[in-house]
Formats: sequence, C-alpha cells, structure tokens
Amino acid sequence: MSRTILAVLAIVLVGSNLRADVDYESDIKPLFQEKCGACHGVLKQEGGLRLDAGSLIRGDESPNGLLDFDQPADSELIRRVATSDPDERMPPEGEGTPLSAQQIEMLAQWIQLGAPSPPDEEIIESPSEHWAYQNPTRPELATDIPEPWSSNPIDVLMFDQWRQSQLAPVPPADPSMALRRLHLDVTGLSPSREDQAEFASDPSTDAWRQRIDRLLDDPAYGEKWGRHWMDVWRYSDWDGYKNQLRGSQRHIWHWRDWIIESLNVDKGYDRMIHEMVAGDEIAPEDLDTLRATGFLVRNFHTSNRDIWLDATVEHTAKAFLGMTIACARCHDHKYDPISQQEYYAFRAIFQPHRVRTERLPGEPDTSKLGLPRAYDADLKAPTYLYVQGNEKNPDKDHPIAPALPEIVEVPFEIQPVELSDLASNPFLREHIETEEIAAAEKKLRSAQKSLRETTDKNDAIVRQQVTVAKANLQSIQHRWAATKAKFVDAKTDKAGATNTQANVADLAIQAANSERTLRFQQALLDVLKQRNAVTTAKESKETDEAKKKAAIDAASKKLAEVEKKLVDASVELVANDAKFTPVGKSYPSTSSGRRTALAHWITAPENPLTARVAVNHIWTRYFGQPLVPSVDDFGLRASQPVHHKLLDWLAVELIEKDWSMKHIHRLILQSRTYRLASSATVESEGTFAKNVEMDPDNLFFWRANVRRLEAELVRDNLLAVAGTLDKSMGGPDIDFKQGETTPRRSVYFRHAYEKQMPMLVVFDAANPTDCYRRSESIVPQQALALANSPLAIDQSRTTAASLSAEASDDPAFVTEAYAAILGREPSDSERSACESFLTHQATLLADSEKLSPSPGAAKTTVPPATDANLRARENLVHVLFNHNDFVTVR
Amino acid sequence: MSMQFGNNRPHSFSGRHRRGFLQDLGLGFGSVALSSLLQGDSTAHGNEIAESELKKIAPKAKSVIWLFMIGGASHMETFDPKPQLNKLAGKTIKETPYAKVLESPYLANERVVAFDPNNGFIRNEIYPLQVGFAPRGESGIEISDWFPHVGECADDLCVLRSMWTEDSNHGAQLQFHTGRHRVDGFFPTVGSWATYGLGSLNDNLPQFVVMGTPVADCCGGRECHRANYLGPQYDGIPLDIDSDIPLPYAAPPGGVYQEEQAGEFELLRQLNQISSEQFPTDEALRARVRSYELAFRMQTAVPDVVRLQDETAQTQRDYGLDQPETKVFGRQMLTARRLVEQGVRFVQVYHGSNGGAGQWDNHKGLKAGHTKLCKQTDQPIGALLKDLKQRGLLDETLVVWATEFGRTPGAQSSNGRDHHPYGFSVWMAGGGVKGGMTHGATDEIGFHAVEDRHYVTDIHATLLHQLGLNRHELVVPGRQRLERDFGHVIHDVLA
Repeated sequence: MSRTILAVLAIVLVGSNLRADVDYESDIKPLFQEKCGACHGVLKQEGGLRLDAGSLIRGDESPNGLLDFDQPADSELIRRVATSDPDERMPPEGEGTPLSAQQIEMLAQWIQLGAPSPPDEEIIESPSEHWAYQNPTRPELATDIPEPWSSNPIDVLMFDQWRQSQLAPVPPADPSMALRRLHLDVTGLSPSREDQAEFASDPSTDAWRQRIDRLLDDPAYGEKWGRHWMDVWRYSDWDGYKNQLRGSQRHIWHWRDWIIESLNVDKGYDRMIHEMVAGDEIAPEDLDTLRATGFLVRNFHTSNRDIWLDATVEHTAKAFLGMTIACARCHDHKYDPISQQEYYAFRAIFQPHRVRTERLPGEPDTSKLGLPRAYDADLKAPTYLYVQGNEKNPDKDHPIAPALPEIVEVPFEIQPVELSDLASNPFLREHIETEEIAAAEKKLRSAQKSLRETTDKNDAIVRQQVTVAKANLQSIQHRWAATKAKFVDAKTDKAGATNTQANVADLAIQAANSERTLRFQQALLDVLKQRNAVTTAKESKETDEAKKKAAIDAASKKLAEVEKKLVDASVELVANDAKFTPVGKSYPSTSSGRRTALAHWITAPENPLTARVAVNHIWTRYFGQPLVPSVDDFGLRASQPVHHKLLDWLAVELIEKDWSMKHIHRLILQSRTYRLASSATVESEGTFAKNVEMDPDNLFFWRANVRRLEAELVRDNLLAVAGTLDKSMGGPDIDFKQGETTPRRSVYFRHAYEKQMPMLVVFDAANPTDCYRRSESIVPQQALALANSPLAIDQSRTTAASLSAEASDDPAFVTEAYAAILGREPSDSERSACESFLTHQATLLADSEKLSPSPGAAKTTVPPATDANLRARENLVHVLFNHNDFVTVR
Repeated sequence: MSMQFGNNRPHSFSGRHRRGFLQDLGLGFGSVALSSLLQGDSTAHGNEIAESELKKIAPKAKSVIWLFMIGGASHMETFDPKPQLNKLAGKTIKETPYAKVLESPYLANERVVAFDPNNGFIRNEIYPLQVGFAPRGESGIEISDWFPHVGECADDLCVLRSMWTEDSNHGAQLQFHTGRHRVDGFFPTVGSWATYGLGSLNDNLPQFVVMGTPVADCCGGRECHRANYLGPQYDGIPLDIDSDIPLPYAAPPGGVYQEEQAGEFELLRQLNQISSEQFPTDEALRARVRSYELAFRMQTAVPDVVRLQDETAQTQRDYGLDQPETKVFGRQMLTARRLVEQGVRFVQVYHGSNGGAGQWDNHKGLKAGHTKLCKQTDQPIGALLKDLKQRGLLDETLVVWATEFGRTPGAQSSNGRDHHPYGFSVWMAGGGVKGGMTHGATDEIGFHAVEDRHYVTDIHATLLHQLGLNRHELVVPGRQRLERDFGHVIHDVLA
C-alpha cells in the first residue's frame, strides 16, 4: 500500500466521527455488489472468491485472508482496491471504476468495526434460488390478529410485521384527508362539495366501501390509472422532426384509448398483456383489439431497426417481468442468470414483426386517420447474435431461434397462426370498397357537372373528362368485383350466384380490360390537354423570343411523350390478360405465433415474475413507495423485500381472481393500512415519535406517505375545481401547445420527445422514453407555473365567481374555497389570515390607480373582476391553488 | 433491511441523513429531491459531494461559460491551420502523400444512426483553406483571420486540436453534451452534472442557464441541456434575454398588479407557516416554501440580471451591441458575464441554430457562411474574455468554445465541407487552464486527431476537475456510467 493512502486512511480513521455510522446494508453491501458482484457473486466466483454476503467477505466458513481486524488498513481487501498497480487493482481495468478514497475509507472503517453484517443475511446457493424466481405461494395469515386489523389480509400481514418490529399502528387519517386521498388516488380528481357533504353525513365503513366501488366504476379511474400504465408501457405519441415521422406512430392514441377502456371494464391483466403483445394474432380482424398492439408499435424507429427491436426487448422485459434483459445485449448479464444468447433468443420473438396502419372508415388518407398496429411481416427474418453487441458484427453462422430465459421455468410453445382473408387483406373491409366507389362516383358527377355547365359544348377536354371518370368508376368496380370473387372463391356471393374458378378468371380479365380502357382514355385526355398547352405556348404574349421558344419546345416535348403513351395504351387495348392493379396491399396469411406464445409464457400462473411486478406497480402508486424498490428489476440485485409475504399474497390473489386489477385496487383501498394518517395529531404524537425512532424511513408502512400530485393531476384539478374540466373521453392527441386553453384532461395531450406541455414537464411528467416511476421534485419553476400561468389565474377567477354565488360573506367564502380546493375546513388561524387578507387585498385593489401593473405579456382568458372584493376573492383562490396542500396528497 | 439487525445495532438508523442522501440521488423517490437551487445550507447533497471532494481537488473555477457552435465549425478554418491543403488543393486524398488516412483504424469509430445519402461522407478532393491564419499574441498560436478579437486573447486560450467523436451526423451535438451516441439514448449533460455536484452560490438565480436557440429536435433538442435521470432540478433553464419574460412564467400575465401578487405571496407564506406548525417534520413542505421564496426573488433577479442597459456605453460597444451582426450574441455574452458574476454555475450558450442541423453546417458556401458566423461571434467572445480578465473573473471562470465535429479536408459541392468526426478543435480559457498553448494535433491534412487524442468526455472531465469535482463521484445508484462517460482529465493543460 502506498504511503499516501496509508496517510489518508490514518487521518480518516482517527479523525472521522462522521463515519461512525457506516452501515452494512446501505453502505457496504451495495458497494460490493457494484464493484465486485459481477465476478465474485453467485453467478461467478473468480479465484474461488464470493463477496455477496458479509459472512462470505469475512470468510466465516472458509477463511479467505481478506480482512485484518487488528490492522484494518493493512487488510488484503484494502490493499487490492487501493493499489495503483493496474495488475493488482480491483476491480480490474475495464471491469469497473476504481473505488474512491471515501469508499476505501468506509471499507476500512467497516473492518475496524469488526465487519458486522446481519446474522440472517440470505446467501443463495445458485441464482435459481433467488426469491423472485420462486413461484409465489399464498402465505399463511396469522390467526391471532386483533380487530380491526383481522378482516383485510393486507392489514393482517402488515399488523403482523408491525407487531414483530414493535411498531404501533397509528390512527386513521382525518376523514376529510382520507376522502381527498381516495378520490385523487382513484380518479385523479378531488372530491366535490357534494362528495364531502355526503361523506360527512355518513362516514360509515359501508359508505366508504360503496364510495370505493363508485369511484372504481367512474370512467375517470381509467384515465387516472391509464396514465400510470402509460408510464410503465412507455406511451409516446408520434415523434418527429417537423412533419417527418421518426419514432412511434401517428394515431397511436388509439392505444391510449384502449388502455383507458380496458381498465374501466376491468379487462384481466393477463388478457391485456395478450392483446398488447399479440393482439394481431389472437384477434386478427378486430380493430378494437388491434389498438392494443400500440405497445409494440410505440417502439418503431424510422432509421434503425436495431434500436427498434432493442427497445422492444428491453421494455417488454422490464414492464411485465422486471427483468433487465437489455444488460445482456453485449455480454452475458453481469448480475442475473441471463446469457447473451438468451437476449437474442428473446429478440427473435419480435424479429418478424413490423408496423402498418389500418385504414379506418371516413378517411382514405392514413396520415390523417388510421390505426397503427403490429403484424408479422417476415416469418423468415433471421436473428443473429451481435458479437459484443456490435451490430456490424453479427454471428451469421448461428442463427438464433426464439426462446425465453431458462431461469423462468415456464414452457414456451410456438404455434403459427393462420390468418383469415380479412386479416391479411385489410382492403376487404367493406367500407373501403364502398368509399372507393363513392369517391369515383363523386368524381364522375363532378365531371358531368362541368360538362353541363360548360359554355363551349364542343369542349373536347371536358367531354373526355367525363369519359375518363366513367372508365375510372368502371375500372374500380371491376377490380373490386374480381378481387372479391377471388377471396369469396367457391362460396356464394351477394348476388346469389356461385363463383366458379371460371367466373373468377372472367372477372379478372374484365378488370384488366377496364383498367386498360381507363389508361387509354386517360392518355387521350392527357394528349388533348397537352395539345392545348402547346397552343397556349405558341399564342403566348411573351416578348422574350428565347423564353417563348423554350416554353413551346418544352410543351411540344411533353406532347410527344403523352402521344407515345397514348399509342402504347391503344396497343395494349387489344391485350386480353388478367393482370390488374390490386385494390390494396396484401400481407402474409400466417403469423409466426411467437408473440402469442410469449404472452402465454408471461401470463402463465407459474411465471413467478409477472403478477408480482404488476401488484408492485399498483402498490407504489397508492403508497408512494414500492414493495420492491427497483420496480423494473426483480433480478438478483433486488434483495428479498421486507414485505415479501404481502407481495406474494397480492400476486397470488391477482392470478386467482382472474387477474382483475380492480379487485386488487379494492382490497388495497378497503384496508386500514391505506387509510392510515400520514402525520401526527396531538393524540397520536407519542405513537409517531416511537415509530419514527424504530423506522424513520417508514419501510413498514406504519403511516401513509405524503405524496405530491402527479403533473397531470395538478393541471386537471385546477380545471376540475373551477368546474371547467371537459370530461369528454378519448380521441386524437391534442397539440400540447393548447394545454393552457383546452380544458381536456392532461392524458389526452400530445406526449412525445420534444412534444410535452411545459407545465407538466416542470412537475415531473413522465419521460416518454422511460418512466417506470415518477420523481417528485420541488423546484421554483413549479411555483412560477402555478403563480404566473394564465391557466392558474383563469381558473382562480372562474372558481371565485362560482363560489361567490354560494357564499355571500367572506367567512362563508373562505369555508367554500377551502373545501373546494383543499378538501378540508380551514383552521382558526388559517381562517383569520384569509379573512384579513380579503379585507386588506380589497382595500389595496380598490385604489388601482396607485398599483403597478406586471410587465408580463402573457394573456389571461378570463378578465379579473372589476369589483375589488370579488377580485380579492380571486386572489385568495389563487393562493389556495398555490398552497402546498393543493399539490399534496396527505 | 431486517429489523432485528436494526435492533442489534441501535445506531443503524442514525445514518439516516446519509442514507437519505443516497436515496435522493435516485433511489428514494418518496423522499424529496431538493433542488440545489433551494439549498444554501450544507445539507445539500450537491454540497456534500463538493465538500468531500474539496479535500482532494481544490477547485480552480467557480463557473463555466460553455459556448456551442451548432452545425460543426470547420477546425481548419478556425483554430487548426493546415497549409498543406493549399498545396494539395484539387488532388484526391489518394493522390497525396497522406493517402494512409483512408486506411486508419480510427475510421471505425464512426457510428451511423441513420444513413444520409447526401451528407456524412469522406470527401476525397482536397479543398484549400478559405481563410488566412496569423500567429497571435506572445504565444503565437495560429488563429484564423476570421477571429481577430478572439485572436487578441490568444495568450489566454488553450486550443485543443485533437478532438474526435463518433457520430458523423448532427446527433453529435447531443453526443458532445452527454458523451453518448444518439443511439444510446439520453443521459445527463455536462452542465447538469456540474450543477448536480456543486452547491449554489446565489439563491436568486437558476444555477444552470441556457441562452440562444437550443439544438433542434433533429439533433438532441433540449436533451442537450437536460439532466435526464438527475431530475429536472438540474436541467438547464433557458433564458430568453430578448423577451420581456426571460423565463417561462417568470412574470404574472398582463393585468395583474405587482402589489396584488405580493399580497398573495404574503398570504401564502402565512398559510404555509401555519401548515409548517401542523406538520413540523414535512420536509417537502419546507422545500416548497423555499421554492416559492426563490421563485418570488427570481421574478426580479432574472430581469435584473438581463438588464444590459445598466452596463456602460463602452462595455455595450465592446460586446458589439451597437452592430446588427454582433448584437444578438453580444447580448448573450454580456449576460453570461453578468450571470457568472452573480454566481451562476453553468452558462450554456448556443450559437447558430436554424431549426435544423445548424448554421455552421456549411456543406456549401463555407467561406460565406463561416465569414458571417465568425463575424457574429468573434467580437462578443473577445469582449467576454477581456472583460472577465479585467474584472478578475477569468481565473475563476472556465470558458469553453466547442462544436459537435469538424469538417472534411475534402470539398463538398465545390465550395463546402462535409461532416468530420475524426479530428476537430475546441478551446478553453480561464478557470485554471494554461493560456497561450495548443494541445494535441491532427495529421497534416487535418483528417485524424493523431496526437493526444481526446474523446468529448475528456472536456467534461477536465471541466469538472477544475470545478473541484471528482468525476467518478458523479454517479447515481442504479444508473451505470461507463468508464468512457467519465472521460479523462487533460492534465497537460492545467496551470
């Protein structure tokens, strides 16, 4: 060891009071995991050394000579991490960054303390023993749990743990807080005055339960929870540079609507996964179901198929399985038992799929309206392992077949799916023929109208236009007839005639003939028009001779071209083959079935990950803190959760109750655990203080966590409180720039890279590329947005006007405003501050001559009240919208 | 964590502060990720890092001014003269003695996101220099005639002539700020790391300010100044200094009275105070109260800092505020000085936005294009350097001039140059970096960086080092950073 490091350590060890609290679980274990885990863990034991548990580091069972308790700084462990010799230093070059001086210091100190670690630390023999890879089983519930904790299994499990940890349950939240929490958590909208009055008059358990049911039945539940799942499933509207599409797809809002609708009808989570991953295989003709494949479509990347597929692999595994398979793209996974081979085998499942857009009734142009969906385009597309993840270096000698990581022992069986004619020939949807023919008829009518109205009855062009339009209509009719005959085949068609092979052939020739006629008539029209163009050029008043000549030459040249086409078309007229332009694009009639097999694998009841990952997501959004902290990584780095039993109980419950998510919501909401207070009252101070000492981070959920409203809810509730929220559901994504002026719920606004509402961004809206969990920042830009946005001020003014209609005097107004905005009554001191404010502010505003206008140029929509008293009330409402409690769920 | 363990070791929870700190770094979403903006006290986790690092790295600089030329400024017409190009003009590279550049293994560093049939090729026909060069200052660094004012500061400049990057298209703009290729996704930018690691010196202003029109969404967009997983409190805050409202929502809408708003803020303060008594342990509430105080102060501090009429007429002229070509960038440079003077940590200024790849992207008409763009920036940058120096601020302010890549030695469309990731130049000045020196070199035709090669993150590493930060400490649990993300400190250029 170098002298410098020794010196540093000496100073540190002698002088460091700060570090007296070095903690194995939070400081030491993660350090070993990060720096040593890949080579000295359960997956690999370089040099026979394993360092993923305290007893292994100490060498309790088999001495390893790493630690020197008498001279911590001289320990072999310290020497190896501190040395400057690159051949000696751990982690080795390229395997990780060297430890910092502080980290070395921390290690030395831990050794000095005797390298303590919890005696019950789990050491698994092999990766397959990892807790998350074991099938969840329903844990036995304790039978000696006292009332009122014994009736809900969540409470039973929680109470049992509190009891063991000597934590005392705290009282339930104040009813008004609980009501606001419930409404915001389920529907994202705070309780109305009526809700509050109703609940105040009947706060019984039955009423609470009925309310839970009512809220879960409210379509707003789907909008609120839809947004949560949109985070996890990476919803993104189309992303692009100017008008060029680069990522995701236009009209992917259909998927958003499918999410919201599915949640509202409580479609099983398993079914939702099937539809998202393989909707095109399990319901190939059903447009409603096809919307779900937006989950895959969203990964579309215009310029690079590898980015597209990598994202599909990474996020399918993270979202449904909490599996960080993406780490195995370039090399075997460093922490989890997933090989690089398995990464590419997973990718092979998606290899055949691509994206196309279904035409929808009423709009032939799919850039304006359509349904983007996934389908298998190329069943033969090979998958190659990229050596070291380098796409320039595919291992073409060993194509990789679809398969799933072996660590999850669930069978994976692929059955190709035969698709119906309609599914693989989307043009067969009836509305398309009808619309095409209607469009041709419209063109014909328009041409005929021009002919009727023309003053020059000898106008050959106008007459020829009618001829072309007729030919066009006939050609379209014949092409459709021939096409349909081919698909109807031997079946009976509409007219009752039997389609024979001969009939199909005749119709095809007829279609080809009318298309040849159309081409001829069109060519003739082009010639007529071009002759006119030549004449016009010759008769032009252009004085520049050179220019005139050039124009005549160009027109004549073009005339020669179209005349040649006319000759060709007339020659073709005598042909008698059956080749005609297809009425639409046909797609493969078989789908690989790989994704259906994947969906079965993911949702198999014996898959240990799926249900756990799902209930963990739901739990997180009610309690502000997950049961498994790494919500997208249930691999070996996720140590066994404190609430393992609860997690498993919920997971089994989800599976056994037909994957009903509303059932899980109901269970959670009906629990007393959910209703706990988040902060102490005078009566509960003692209990809180004692619990805080035991568990300051509330790992045991002995109280509710105070949470900040999600970005969308901040905006939605400004509108909802003011009564201006437009509750209409679904439909195309709304330009995010209209966020201040269009009063729809935030979930309906465009959400993509570089296309997000600024107000939502400052409140930590989901990153469209990756957001398994929102962050909750507190930054001054949020204060500015609520204080200065025209939206907040407009809604304040509207709210004040409507509340004033109900409240004649100031005290009544203060009561109403608190109830409407914060869902509670003001305290005496709050009331007095507000009433005094109303008086002073009204006086201030009455003398507006003396006031200085803001330099701001932004414009409000609702003008301020002219009456100073009312304007003061507007100000009060605005203050309450800026109150910490408005953006907080307590 | 097991409770028994906790019980056995009564102090195991006393490390809460530090654990909370770790959670704030990315694990503890339930806890409050406080903005460095809000934290004048030593509990700021940013400060915690800084404090510990002060033991090892003495900070030389307090602030950074980061100038980024969007589109790819030609290294050969700015800071890396290649007279050989004039001698070889018209020949193909293969016909020159330097044909071997086309076989260099460095060519493999290029990573293409999307094939562009028009741009991003090696151009074979040597294109002569479009501008003359002269030795400047006592150090005699050769700088192009398009940069006379910057040239006057040559003895303060450290020109790095051996940069390389990977992306041969303008995703390299993003890559220059995050160190990651566009294909890898979005990551925290250098400015957000710097502000993340440092405490605040001024509680009235954002710590990471962005000026100029940002990179367009083709090329990274706002992700070129965002903090990604570090959280929005470390995002660069765009200041629109030529608007009445330099910051979004920085002033109430028209029709609101200032006294009216002051009354509201006072009531809000009272009500939150009442709440604080009810919820004495609610840290989020305290943070929100402070965020409002700061927001209120920002409403006046931000307009104050951009009020350039407070500067003397001479200063305004020095920065070129009186000339149409230099006015826009001059105002930004002068504001940059005022911002660092006020303690703002990182000022990122974009030049040359055109809503797409950027104005410096002179595939054709390079001479006309670069003449104009250099003219727009030269005098303001020169004025900034001189002004900082004269005020004694240059020692503690690191100025970086950068661009996403250089341009090809060969001609494109007869009078332009194509994208060139294999070798290009940036420079640094002040902040404890040696002046009057060049470092690294490209080959004789400016093709490959051949001597002391530096990937873009080496600039990040050097900058963070000068701010007193150990780059390896800048990690967030659960977010892996590659060795190359950290870069290497360029010790040769440190004073």
